[in-house]
Amino acid sequence: MYKLTNLGFGQTEITSVIRLSDGACIPFDLANTDYQAYLKWIEEGNTPLPAEE
Amino acid sequence: MSLIIDGTNGVTFNDSSLQPAAASPYVLKNKLINGAMVIDQRNAGASVATTTAGTGTYTLDRWQYYASQTSKFTVQQNAGSVTPPTGFNNYLGCTSSSAYSVLSTELFLIRQAIEGFNASDLAWGTANAKTVTLSFQVYSSLTGTFGGAIYNYLGTRSYPFSYTISSANTWTQISITIAGDTSASWTSGGSSSNTNSGWGYISFNLGCGSAVSGTTGVWNSGTAFGPTGATSVVGTNGATWYITGVQLEIGTTATPFERRLYNQELANCQRYYEKSFAIGTAPATNLGAGTGDVILSANTTVGNSYVSTVSFKVTKRTTATVTLYNRQNASNDWSWYNSAGTASNGGAVGSSSDNGFYCQYTSVTTATVVAGHWTASAEL
Repeated sequence: MYKLTNLGFGQTEITSVIRLSDGACIPFDLANTDYQAYLKWIEEGNTPLPAEE
Repeated sequence: MSLIIDGTNGVTFNDSSLQPAAASPYVLKNKLINGAMVIDQRNAGASVATTTAGTGTYTLDRWQYYASQTSKFTVQQNAGSVTPPTGFNNYLGCTSSSAYSVLSTELFLIRQAIEGFNASDLAWGTANAKTVTLSFQVYSSLTGTFGGAIYNYLGTRSYPFSYTISSANTWTQISITIAGDTSASWTSGGSSSNTNSGWGYISFNLGCGSAVSGTTGVWNSGTAFGPTGATSVVGTNGATWYITGVQLEIGTTATPFERRLYNQELANCQRYYEKSFAIGTAPATNLGAGTGDVILSANTTVGNSYVSTVSFKVTKRTTATVTLYNRQNASNDWSWYNSAGTASNGGAVGSSSDNGFYCQYTSVTTATVVAGHWTASAEL
């Protein structure tokens, strides 16, 4: 399970997602294997939780 | 020390190893990292087991344990405390936790992924593919024919190999020569293998089903993780399998294991994984203050938002996955202190790169310093 992050300082779009099992912050980088696993999870029909208000 | 210099074959040492000088330099020849099993940042010598079936778990640095079933092995640096082979202080040890009969598509293996930048000179996938030699020292409570494979990152080409352990509980030196693969399947990051993408794996098989095994000593289409009929370590409860001195080098013979200084090998590992914790401390939350945690300045941005920046010691393979560890509770965040020393716990990674990251906390009134631990991963 994943959760989208809030916008970072000066950012206009979300650039990472939190893996809830261990709190890891995963960047949206296609060379990052954790992000590849996240994309596969999305392809399986899953949806991340929204960012905290 | 006797030495034979031959204009055709290169240099032959008195242990009969051959060094074809131009093709295989005497130093910086090993394509593998942490082959002497010295660095264990994640676990600091503690035992590891897979908790999710069908996933890989990093054990000693750069070495991943992959299992189709949970709880079938424990993996630990210097498991069983046997005497390492001469010249080594460490080994990676696997111990079978049950007697399990592997199903046809199941796998249990120890493997290391190799980055394209470190293997592109092998020219695999071209007509100029170079022959390599894999060497290692292995020790098991079992005897027989064991196996492993070298396979590309894309999972479309594989070369199963086999080796024999004749004497139980005895270190055995193994050497396997592999003709380079000329198939154009050794790039995963575009048209060239000279990238930070995965190139391939070296893997050692602890149990491999028939459907994912293949013919030994030849290149197979698809992924065969080991030779058909190899000894299944997972099939015997309490069986042990230990390995160290793993080297993959250009050439047709195994040369002496490449000794690297500790700090050099640690830096090699830190390209893929780095931590703020002391080298002998496994990452965890709630370790308390004064445990080597980073103390950084908290810099105000706008409103009640503060940020603090960390630079990595070693540039990562790619943008890193970052995990925060609170030092005084079980949360994955940091402790932000005001000038009175009162902590407010919170924050998250705002952004990371291959060089560092910043942590951001948007709901603290004032903060002057921030404390906590972190890990950064850019593994293959």
